[in-house]
Amino acid sequence: MMELPPTRAGHVGRALSASAILLFLAMPIVIILVTSFGADGIGTFPPKEYSTRWYEQMAAPGGNWATSIALSSLVAALTTVFSLILGVTAATALARGRLPLHAAVYGLVLAPMLIPQVVIALGLFLFFEPAGMLGSPLAIALGHTVLAAPIAILIMISTLKGIDERLEDAAASMGAGRMTIARRITFPLATPGLIAAAVFSFITSFDEFFIAQFLSTPDTRTLPVLVFNALQFDVDPTVTAVSAVLIALAILALALVALVRKLGGHRTGRSALPVEPLT
Amino acid sequence: MRGHRSRTALINAVPVTVFLIVLFIYPIIGVLSLSLKGDNGAFTLHWYTDALSGANLSVLISTLRISAETAVLSLLVGFVLAHAIARMRPVFAALAMLIVVVPHFISALVRTYGWIIMLGEHGLINTLLTSAHAPGAPYSLLYNETGVVIGTTSVMLPYTVLILQGVMRGVDSRLLAAAAGFGASRWTIFTRIYLPLVAPGIGTAGLLSFILCLGYYITPALMGGDQQTVVAALIDQQVMKQDQWNSAAAFGVILLLLTFAGLGVLGLARLRRKKAHARRSSS
Amino acid sequence: MPERTNSLTAGKLSADDLAAVLAPRSNAPTGKSLSVTGLRKSYSGTTVVDGVDMEIAAGEFVTFLGSSGSGKTTTLMMLAGFTEPDSGTIEVDGRDITALNPGKRDFGFVFQQYLLFPHMTVAENVAFPLTLRGVPKAEIRRRVGETLEAAGLSKFAGRKPRELSGGQQQRVALCRVLVYRPPIVLMDEPLGALDKKLRDQMQTEIKSIQRELGLTVIYVTHDQEEALVLSDRIAIMKDGRIEQFDTPRGLFEHPRTPFVADFLGAANFLTGKVEETTADGSTPVRLDTGGVLKARPHPCAPGQRVRAAVRPGKLRLVRAEESCCSGTVETAVYVGSLTRITVRLDGAAPGTPPLRIETAAAPPRPGERVCVTADREDVSVFDESDGG
Repeated sequence: MMELPPTRAGHVGRALSASAILLFLAMPIVIILVTSFGADGIGTFPPKEYSTRWYEQMAAPGGNWATSIALSSLVAALTTVFSLILGVTAATALARGRLPLHAAVYGLVLAPMLIPQVVIALGLFLFFEPAGMLGSPLAIALGHTVLAAPIAILIMISTLKGIDERLEDAAASMGAGRMTIARRITFPLATPGLIAAAVFSFITSFDEFFIAQFLSTPDTRTLPVLVFNALQFDVDPTVTAVSAVLIALAILALALVALVRKLGGHRTGRSALPVEPLT
Repeated sequence: MRGHRSRTALINAVPVTVFLIVLFIYPIIGVLSLSLKGDNGAFTLHWYTDALSGANLSVLISTLRISAETAVLSLLVGFVLAHAIARMRPVFAALAMLIVVVPHFISALVRTYGWIIMLGEHGLINTLLTSAHAPGAPYSLLYNETGVVIGTTSVMLPYTVLILQGVMRGVDSRLLAAAAGFGASRWTIFTRIYLPLVAPGIGTAGLLSFILCLGYYITPALMGGDQQTVVAALIDQQVMKQDQWNSAAAFGVILLLLTFAGLGVLGLARLRRKKAHARRSSS
Repeated sequence: MPERTNSLTAGKLSADDLAAVLAPRSNAPTGKSLSVTGLRKSYSGTTVVDGVDMEIAAGEFVTFLGSSGSGKTTTLMMLAGFTEPDSGTIEVDGRDITALNPGKRDFGFVFQQYLLFPHMTVAENVAFPLTLRGVPKAEIRRRVGETLEAAGLSKFAGRKPRELSGGQQQRVALCRVLVYRPPIVLMDEPLGALDKKLRDQMQTEIKSIQRELGLTVIYVTHDQEEALVLSDRIAIMKDGRIEQFDTPRGLFEHPRTPFVADFLGAANFLTGKVEETTADGSTPVRLDTGGVLKARPHPCAPGQRVRAAVRPGKLRLVRAEESCCSGTVETAVYVGSLTRITVRLDGAAPGTPPLRIETAAAPPRPGERVCVTADREDVSVFDESDGG
């Protein structure tokens, strides 16, 4: 900005306040990562002694943690498949076609991102309870898809809009049929977006607590449900290691998406936050 | 081949529409009808009068209060951050955005846990403040409203920063330069030119954090005390422990209506801006 | 990148080589004829193309020339099959293809934006149409290699399109179309995004490939010079109709409408009344400003009001003779090879533009009295009711 040259005081003030806020935001995450290697669990920060015992406990086969990690992975994988199917079809309709009632469908897609999750979770509970599907990984995955599909759809819409439709025209003019165009032109160009959609669907499900809480039974608890219980009732230091793994997973996922986009060389799917359609 | 476009679009729109109608709209209608049904199945508003009285009402009020406090705090912090980021060198700005946005993709449970460790009586903050001999340290930052609002604010911050950044980028700096050219002071430029220009973004960001906070559960449940019981926690209790589904449904509908009201305000504000814009461009 | 800075010479297309690689063994033209009847298209009530009829011979280079909104691109898109006409037929060698998908027409299409597939290498891009046609792998490799070699693009075969300059990308796009030997190639302002120097060079290359291969090319541009350089015939389009479809010379020397006269190389318009036809067959026009201008024979009755059109370069400054128009020089600007003069005729109504004259002879000075005339072959006459 160029209205007036910035004063030194203003400059220093801005830099200091921003740094303090950013540090404050980053600290909880750093603390978890460090504490998870502390021998004495949640005791003190920084820990006096370091060990990997909580990680070993987390991964102990047959234990609560290992079981729920397996369940969460299954649910997240199912959610990813469902979200990708919905994401690709819905984005094709919304980004490419001349869809009648475009605004209505778009609004329907955005709605789950804005409606309180507790209401969605309650509704799903009332939906699956009579069917005796509580605790079923399929039910939890379908529930998670309500939250993950809109994200996948937004990413795919932005991906498809980033692909020049006339490339498909060019292929058609050389004699390529619809399937060939989809397989050899559109799909390869949409791959970075597809990977981003898959990654964000997966971590949305893997981290989701509320719907899983409502749809779970004492025998089937996803990882976030177990973490929540551990935090609220019995403080099990293993939870720190689990949290650290979840942080690592999220960062790896984001790095993967960034890498794929860089390799793809063209910008697709900017933001997974529903901020753009709202402003 | 372009003639078939709207048909192809319709076919492609079917899966998501069916899915969301069955697993999103229909269940919400289920919640609505349950909230209006008495124990004998007849129509009643009993659950709503119940929800809006006594201890239940105070839960609703503290939910609104916490949401409002969060909206204000995340606006303030978000504004300071977005404003600073807009003036940083690109490398630092990217790094700052990374710190703001990456946590959004980390489980809220995990972040809340981080806050719990950090804000506890023997946590990092209190240890630092005590050793700095801050008057009154250690402070109680956990299991009270301070803790809840710090936690929820950190959850909403990515939204507010992104929205505010969007509007700040849209401000034509030549307008500010023009104001400076007339001899306006920094304060005048900021309050009379800059703030009105970014006001729509401030409104959107504040309302959005408020709406998203209404149904939020994890942070109040883990970082709050008895005074910070929110509607979502009450619903969870009523379903999981007390089998009072109808009452839970009534609370769900109240949350839904509050959300719609917030979204309605957002929509109206957008409509007004659009209309004003249309008037301007047509004249 | 050194190649990029040197894009004019690197990847220089050798038209003769390319034609030799692509040409079939026989000498017969590979192009096909195209016949268009009553082509119409409107979008939500606005007519964009309003009845286009044309016969294009095999091996002919035809250009649609017009300003934006004239309907030239829509017409091309209908020929290509990307846009469905509301009515009308398109025939190739007598076969009706109006209802066929773009891919079924076996046309080649060169786009202004190149539209190379960004995820494929240059070689893969050129191979793409061949793989669609089920050409054996070994032959694909050979033909792609030969084509790129002839186009001087061999060393870019393994590169991605974004690593190439604009000119190189358009050459690849051209190779990608020519490699499958379509009998009819449609080009939508293919050189529009290139700088002037590169455009001139590519024009020559496109023209000689077309001639060598006997391709039928239908080209769209808004650049007059480009149209004149490339085309056997030019269709001048305005408001969705063809104003005139003729050879460049025909259009230039015998414009059929005032619009064509003015659009192609600008014209001075002078209003007047036709006098009795003279013995030599020319049409004398008594100008409103005074003086008589002899024009080409034109079927019109004496006394009819007409507009006479003369190009700036065809007006001559003469000493006062019988049939010349006198006026005063307003400006004279030397622009290199010639001088641009404006002359206000005596008796010209206020507000009418002055005559524009281009001359290589020693120019008069502003304020000097002059007399203006033109050879009758250079004067076209239009009924006053004609637009333009």
